[in-house]
Amino acid sequence: MSATGAPAQQITGSNRFMLLILLVPGLLALMTTFLLPMIWLARASFSTSSMAAFGGGMTLEHYHAALTDPFYWKVAMNTLSLGVTVSFFAVILSYPIALFLTRSTSRWRGVLTALAVAPLLTSAVVRTYGWMVILGDRGVINGTLQALSLTTDPVRLSNNTFGATVALVEILMPYSILAMLAGFGRLNPQLEEAASMLGASKLRVFWRIILPLSLPGILTGALLVFVLAISAFVTPRLMGGGRVFVLGTEVFQEATVTLNWPLAAALSVVLLALFSSVIVIYQRALRRLEA
Amino acid sequence: MSEHHVVVDNLVKTYPGAATPSVDHVSFALPKGEMLALLGPSGCGKTTILRMIAGLIEPTSGAIQLNGREISQTPVHKRNMGMVFQAYALFPHMTVAGNVAFGLEMRGIPHSERGPKVQRALDMVKLGHLGDRRVTQLSGGQQQRCAIARSLVIEPELLLLDEPLSNLDAKLRDEMRDEIREIQSRTGVTAIFVTHDQDEALSMADRLAVMSAGKIEQIGTPREIFDAPANEFVAGFIGAGNFLSGRVTAPGEAEIEGLGPLRFEAPARIGSQVNLMVRPHRFKLAAPGPNAFTGQVDSLVYRGQILTLGISVGGKRLTADLHTHAGHLPAKGETVTLAVAPGDVTFLSEAAA
Repeated sequence: MSATGAPAQQITGSNRFMLLILLVPGLLALMTTFLLPMIWLARASFSTSSMAAFGGGMTLEHYHAALTDPFYWKVAMNTLSLGVTVSFFAVILSYPIALFLTRSTSRWRGVLTALAVAPLLTSAVVRTYGWMVILGDRGVINGTLQALSLTTDPVRLSNNTFGATVALVEILMPYSILAMLAGFGRLNPQLEEAASMLGASKLRVFWRIILPLSLPGILTGALLVFVLAISAFVTPRLMGGGRVFVLGTEVFQEATVTLNWPLAAALSVVLLALFSSVIVIYQRALRRLEA
Repeated sequence: MSEHHVVVDNLVKTYPGAATPSVDHVSFALPKGEMLALLGPSGCGKTTILRMIAGLIEPTSGAIQLNGREISQTPVHKRNMGMVFQAYALFPHMTVAGNVAFGLEMRGIPHSERGPKVQRALDMVKLGHLGDRRVTQLSGGQQQRCAIARSLVIEPELLLLDEPLSNLDAKLRDEMRDEIREIQSRTGVTAIFVTHDQDEALSMADRLAVMSAGKIEQIGTPREIFDAPANEFVAGFIGAGNFLSGRVTAPGEAEIEGLGPLRFEAPARIGSQVNLMVRPHRFKLAAPGPNAFTGQVDSLVYRGQILTLGISVGGKRLTADLHTHAGHLPAKGETVTLAVAPGDVTFLSEAAA
């Protein structure tokens, strides 16, 4: 009560009833669109029948397959390494932009912020095709290189992990910029002024004040990009040209090509477990930062 | 100039796009160990001056000298000044001791020497036992103390305080006012503080500079400012006053419209128009006579030691502060006579009629 500074509101019996009534639509929507499908997914991952979630017996064989098959281990490692690489570069590239937007006092700041996140207005598919045009074997870059006679054979920029990484970094940067802007609340120009008054040079103000105070924002941005990158399907699929195997593409493969739904479900659960552990680690780190 | 510790000479700041300068040819000098208050309404340029001295704003023109050195081109982090910010600006990710140690660390003072210095600074502001706390766990008054310790531990050549008391509640403000003054005189640090609160300025500063619209209207000791204001602005900004204007009819006497003759002690040419002021506490209850005005009490405010009453005389309102121990206290509606000695009338300005 005193923690928020708001006056404490007595919740009486009839109030509580009203509160529950008001919560019902939201809870119902969450139940039907989130909780039930999750239960369905979890049940499907144990199913013996290849297409049905319920009915049929229970088995652990799909988990056995997912967790013992060295191919899936490699896929999981690919996914993790793609997630780490993409979030690393997205954060490195977004940080100066977000920092500039936070600290700017220009009247164009609003416009610049809108521009920075404007790519979100087009779908990831469209932007992925954009990257195929740029990085393809007969794309802008290779075309230029060949026209200048710098190379005869096209440089492999797409249909591999490199292309998928480049496209994912660009596609996910707006998210990390937004997350950072939201997480930079503790940055305050007066703290920087106080530090320089105490004898800190610009560089030391950055290392000792700006960086530590913006760390929560950086972590939030990194987490968001990581989660979006390891669950990405369209971009790794299109930019990887079928040669990049990550959990997203494999779940799709099992569900739509092989039609092995239980295995697809089991792989999804593995992906979920991966998410959850990352989020737990992240929250531990954040709590320590802010404690 | 060399006997002065801080010299500000013809300082000007015009913000880009602004028609008039925010700080307009301001000059003043402080001897070592003095505490100066920059006092004025908001927007008068007092904070801009402080920030130019600190190096946080670049002056348009003018010079700032510290200890005989010209510093207007010296970067902020090399000026060796302490600053207490209005909102304290403590580093939220460091402990109390970490905040205080920061300046020492930036000066390359080895870890072993930092501890005792930090402890001494914290003891000075009575936070000696809270060094390990996070600054977010401190109360407003404690944050203020921490900010003071942080700015003094570096042994600054000049201490700057930006509205240091404005974020505290009334009781704490009085306490911190005395404490800041005490710490300043004990350490002997030269200090400049900015305030819009006249009580704060009068009670804390050795001298004050009253500012308006980017200019210093008057600079002097609290007593000089209060008893001999240089002009109407200063007289009106510091303390209450009865402002009276009239035509000089005889040496030392002016005919105040609606009131009658008022004698004062200042040379003024006969026939000229003068602006005079009487502080409310200069009025005494008296029998009708010269320099006395009779009217009905129409407002009465009892404030413990002082009774503030207002009377209307010939369409003019006069306000008087009477000491409550002065025997008979008038009641509302009573007719009283207020008298003022000619020496207690403040002469403000004269204009040829």
